[in-house]
Amino acid sequence: MLRRQVLWAAGAVVLLSAYFPCSQAKPIAFANGTSVMLEYGGNMMREAQVFYAPRFDLSLGGGLVRLASDLDGRQREITYARVNYLPKRWNLEAAQANVFVWGGLGSAEISGRAGSIFAQNVGVQFDYETRRLYVSAKTDLQRSDQFSHRIDTVQFGVAPYAHDYDTLATWLLIQGRRYGGNLYDGTEGALLLRLFKGNKWLEAGVTNDGKLQAMFMFNF
Amino acid sequence: MFRTLSLTCLSLFAAGFAQAATIEMKVNGLVCGFCAQGIEKTLRKYPATADVVVSLENRLVVVATKDGQDIADGELMKALKNAGYDLKAIVRTERSISAIRTDLAKKR
Repeated sequence: MLRRQVLWAAGAVVLLSAYFPCSQAKPIAFANGTSVMLEYGGNMMREAQVFYAPRFDLSLGGGLVRLASDLDGRQREITYARVNYLPKRWNLEAAQANVFVWGGLGSAEISGRAGSIFAQNVGVQFDYETRRLYVSAKTDLQRSDQFSHRIDTVQFGVAPYAHDYDTLATWLLIQGRRYGGNLYDGTEGALLLRLFKGNKWLEAGVTNDGKLQAMFMFNF
Repeated sequence: MFRTLSLTCLSLFAAGFAQAATIEMKVNGLVCGFCAQGIEKTLRKYPATADVVVSLENRLVVVATKDGQDIADGELMKALKNAGYDLKAIVRTERSISAIRTDLAKKR
């Protein structure tokens, strides 16, 4: 079963990379740029986001996230408008580190209940990267008076070779993710392959439960 | 009068055939394609820009300007800062941007 999922994920990466000759997932890509991001986190999390950055340290946009409990099948569908801000960046000789924060407001629909309720979203991300090493830690909270779901994600990545602007970048990543609010019991691990080139990024892999996890990002 | 007119004509003629400038910049924080893409997009907006090359390996950003045109150092420093990066050094060279591009490709 796990082997079949791994093969499926590898196949998806190869196929998609052929279409999207594919950098690091950041809520702000670059000044005057628009980012489109699609993420599939097994059955528990699916998210789509679009952000426009009028400045290198600020982006505005919105998204749709669908959360489903792996324990009891409860679902939340949250639509939000969000502001991302980069309060600190360290530009080193051969490395870069960033701190991003974000906050948003939206509406949520809960399975088994009619109508929608007011929801809030806050988060913070730290990342450090060279051309061969990548480390990031992120926490994202979706809450309302009916639920509180926090997703904490850490990633550690190594690149087998140093890429350049016009060459394909390849990263191998280990990810740990903790879902709060009774979405999942414990911490989920995943092995991921990340490919990017120019303005396109594709990431895909499998979790320790054999579930597919994937993300695609495009900047223009 | 004739001498002044001749000098004016000569200087205008020379300006018309002035060589394009190649500006090499060392930049800190250049580690990914998004960085390069943002910088290239910013620099290509200048009307004087003819071409841009970005090398992550060499932490290098090169701008070639159109014939007879230039971009001031202060303007380039501001552009890089507004793109989120730190300009560490800036030099104007005799090398053409195509020669630089070829050299960078050979180094790989």
